[in-house]
Amino acid sequence: MPITQLIPRYARLLRVQVGMSAVAAMQYRVDFLVRGLIAFLWSAVTLVPILVVFSVRDALAGWSFAEALIVVAWFSLLRSVLEGAVSPSLTAVVEHVRKGTLDFVLLKPADAQFLVSTAKFEPWRVVDAVGALVVFVYAFAKLGRWPALPHVLLALVFLALAVVILYSIWILVVSAAFWVVKVDNLSYLFGSLFDVGRWPISVFKGALRAAFTFVFPVALMTTYPALALLGRMDARTAVLALVGGVVFAAVARRVWKRALGMYTSASS
Amino acid sequence: MSGPMIDVAALSKSYRVHKRAPGIAAALRSVFRRRYETVKAVEELSFRIAEGERVGFLGPNGAGKTTTLKVLAGLLHPTSGSVRVGGHVPHTRDPLFLQLITLVMGQKQQLLWDLPPSDTYAMNRAIYDIPRAQAEDTIRTLTELLEIGDLIRKPTRQLSLGERMKCELVAALLHRPRVLFLDEPTIGLDVSMQAKMRAFIRDYNERFGAAVLLTSHYMDDVVALCPRVVVIDRGRLIYDGDLRELVRRVRPDKHVTIRLSAPVAAADLARLGKVVSADAGQAVLAVPAAQASAVVRDALAALPIVDLTIEEPPLEDVMRELFVTRAPDPTRTTLS
Amino acid sequence: MTGAAADLARAAKAFPTLLTIGFAEVVAYRAEFLVWILTTNMPLVMLALWHAVAEDGAVGRFDQPKFTAYYLAILVVRLVTSNWMAWQMSMEVRDGTLSAKLLRPIHPLYAFAADHLSALPMRLLYVSPIVVVLLVTSWGQIAGHDARVALVLGPALIGAWLLMFFSMVLLGTVAFYVDSAMGAFELWLAVHAIVSGYLIPLELLPPWARTVTDVLPFRYMLAFPAETLVGLVAPAAALRQLVIQWVYVVATAAAAIAAWRAGVRRFAAFGG
Repeated sequence: MPITQLIPRYARLLRVQVGMSAVAAMQYRVDFLVRGLIAFLWSAVTLVPILVVFSVRDALAGWSFAEALIVVAWFSLLRSVLEGAVSPSLTAVVEHVRKGTLDFVLLKPADAQFLVSTAKFEPWRVVDAVGALVVFVYAFAKLGRWPALPHVLLALVFLALAVVILYSIWILVVSAAFWVVKVDNLSYLFGSLFDVGRWPISVFKGALRAAFTFVFPVALMTTYPALALLGRMDARTAVLALVGGVVFAAVARRVWKRALGMYTSASS
Repeated sequence: MSGPMIDVAALSKSYRVHKRAPGIAAALRSVFRRRYETVKAVEELSFRIAEGERVGFLGPNGAGKTTTLKVLAGLLHPTSGSVRVGGHVPHTRDPLFLQLITLVMGQKQQLLWDLPPSDTYAMNRAIYDIPRAQAEDTIRTLTELLEIGDLIRKPTRQLSLGERMKCELVAALLHRPRVLFLDEPTIGLDVSMQAKMRAFIRDYNERFGAAVLLTSHYMDDVVALCPRVVVIDRGRLIYDGDLRELVRRVRPDKHVTIRLSAPVAAADLARLGKVVSADAGQAVLAVPAAQASAVVRDALAALPIVDLTIEEPPLEDVMRELFVTRAPDPTRTTLS
Repeated sequence: MTGAAADLARAAKAFPTLLTIGFAEVVAYRAEFLVWILTTNMPLVMLALWHAVAEDGAVGRFDQPKFTAYYLAILVVRLVTSNWMAWQMSMEVRDGTLSAKLLRPIHPLYAFAADHLSALPMRLLYVSPIVVVLLVTSWGQIAGHDARVALVLGPALIGAWLLMFFSMVLLGTVAFYVDSAMGAFELWLAVHAIVSGYLIPLELLPPWARTVTDVLPFRYMLAFPAETLVGLVAPAAALRQLVIQWVYVVATAAAAIAAWRAGVRRFAAFGG
C-alpha cells in the first residue's frame, strides 16, 4: 500500500483503538476514579524526598530546587505516557502469548507491532501529565523566568525521543516474552528502574551514571529534556542523543521481528 | 478461480525443541550446552481442496492437525514443501490473503473481553476496511442465522460459552472470508449448541461458497458436515477421500442391534456374530457387511426379537481402529 | 481440645510439609524470585541520592557512611520481611482458590504463613551479599553496639515480620468486600513509603512529622529494626520501641483475625 493510503488508514485504526480503550475504561468507573486518585497520591509522595533534600541544602549535585523540580516534572510526564500508553498494551501482548490468542493478531491484515502497541490505553494516567504541567509552571515561576521558545521546541523533541526509547525498551522486554513466557516481573523491574529518572543524572557517579546513560538510558529521558528546557543543552550532546535514540528504535523493531519470526518458526 | 483453493504439496514441518532434564545440575549444564531434539510434526503431506468444499481433518492428538492448519493460515512457516491458499503463499501474510481466510479456535476468542461483541465487530471493520453498509448487512445476516440478536450488545464477559462462540463466529466471518479454518470449534459446547453450530457452518458454506477445513474430536461434527475427510497420523497422510468409504474400508462390520423379549444364552448370540455388548434386554453384534442379511434372517428365526436395527459402527470405533493398531514410530524424532 | 488449640495442633503437624513444598516451589521459580528481589532497588537509589547530598557535609547526624549503613539495613530488612498477602488474597478470592483452601482442615492463614516463611531461606540467600557489604562498610557502627541493643535485634526482626504479615492480611480482607484489595494496598504503600523510613530516614523529617511517625505502626515494620541493626537507636530507646512494636503486633494480629472472620462469613454468604 502506498504511504499516502497507509497513514490515513493507520490513523483511523489508532482512533478506533483509543476509542475502544476509553470505552473499556469507562466500564469500570469506580476503578477509574480510585486509580486516578492513587496516581495523584504517588506523585505527591515521591515529591517528599526532594522536599526534604532541599530543606537542608540549596543545591543537589549542581541543580537548584526549581531545576530539580523540572526533572521531576519530566519524569511524571514520561511516566504518564509509559503507564498510560505503552505498558498496558504491551502487557496485553504477554497475556496473548500465554493464552494462545496472539494468533488472532497475526491473522489480521495490519502490522502486528502496531496492533499490539495500540491495543490498550489507560486514560486516567492523564492525571500524571496534568500534575507534571502544574509542577512545570511552579518551577519556572520560582526561577522567575519562562523558557524560550527554541528551548521548548528542543525539549519537545527530547520528549518524543524519550517516548521512542521507552517504547523500544518495552518492545525488547515483550519480545523476550516469546522466549521466556513469564515476563510480568520484568515489567515491574522495568518500572522500578525507570523510577531512577526522577533525579538529575549528576546525582549518580561513575559506573552507575554510565549505566543509566547508555544501558538503560533514563538520563536521556528526563535529565536531557530538563536541560533542554533550561537552555543548558549543547548541540553535540543533542545530536548524539537523537541519533542514539533512532538507532535504538531500529534495533528494537529488528528484535521484535526476530521474536515474531521465532514464534512463527520462520527460521526453522 | 481455476485450480484448487487450497493446494498442499509435500508439506513438512519440524520443530527443534530444547530438552532439559529436571534438577539444578541439568539446569546449570543447559546454560553451557543445549541439547536439541527435532520433532517432525508434519511429513510430506499433500492434498487439495476445491472452492466451496467441506473437508474434515482427522487424527489423534499430536497428529499434526493444528500445525497443518496454522501453516495454512500463515501462522507457521513450513520447513519444506509448498502451500498455496487462494493462489497466495500463506506465510508471506499478504493482506489480500488475510482477507480471504479466517481461523476459529474452540475455547479461544478474539472478542474483546470487557466490551460487547459489537465493539469487536467495529474494530474488525476498521482493520479489514469493510464498507459500513456491507458490514452491517453481514452482521444482520449472520446474527439472524445464529439467532443471537441483542446478545451482541452485552459485554463479552457476561455471555455464556455457547453465546460467546456464536458471537465469535460473527467476528470471524465479518469480512466474508472464502476459506474457513475451524480448529475444534464445538469443543466445550452442549449438544444442542453443537448442532446449531454445525447447521450454521453448513449454511455459511452453501450461501457464500466458502471452503471449510474442520478439525474436531466430535465425530458428529465430521459426519454432519464433511463428506470428505483427510486423515493424518503422526504427521503423515493415511487417508484422503469419502468418509463413508473410509468407514467401509476400516470397519467392514455392520452393527446389528437386537432387542429381546426374553433372556438368551451367550452361546446363542456368539453363534450369529461377534458380540459387542449384551445385557438382559439388548445385544449388539458386529457382523461383516456381506453377511448382514443372512445373520438377520437367522437371528429373527432363532431368537425372541422384539426390535432390530442395522447400523454403521460409530465413527469413534473406526478411528480407534485406525490409530490404535500402530506401534510407536522411532523414525519420527531424532536427537541432535 | 478446644477448637483453636486443635487447629494449632493440626497446623503444627502439617507445617513442616507445607514449608518443604513451599520451598520447592520457590526453588522452581528462583529466576522470577531473583527478578522480584531486584525490583526492590529504591533504597539503593535513595542511597545514591543522599550520598550526593552528603558530599559536602552531614545532614543532621547522617554523614555518608551513616547513609550507607542506613539504606543497606533498610534494604535487608525490607527484603526479609517482604509480604504479598494483600495481592495473594485478592487473587484467591477472585479465582476461587480461597474457597478450596477454606475446605481444608488447616486454617488458611497458617497456609499463607507457611508460604511466606518457606520463601525465607531463598530470600536470605539472595540478601546475603548485601549483608556482607553492609558488614564490611559499616562494621564500626555495628560492632560498637551496646549489648542491650544486640539483644533487641532478634525480637525486632521477628516483630517486624509479624507486623507486616498481619497488616497485609488486614489489607487483604478488603478483597472480601470490594473487587480487589489492590487499590487499598497501593494507598497503604504510598503512605508506608514515607512514614516507615523507606524513602527517607525518619529523623530527617520535620519535628511534627517525627511525632506522627513515632506513633504510627509503620516505623516498627522497617525503620526500627533497620536502625537497631546499624546502631542508630539509643539503648534506652531500643527497649521502649521494642515494646511498642510488639503491642502493635498483637493489636494488628487481633484486628486481622477478626477482619478475616468477618470477611470469610461474608464471602461464604455471597459466594466467590
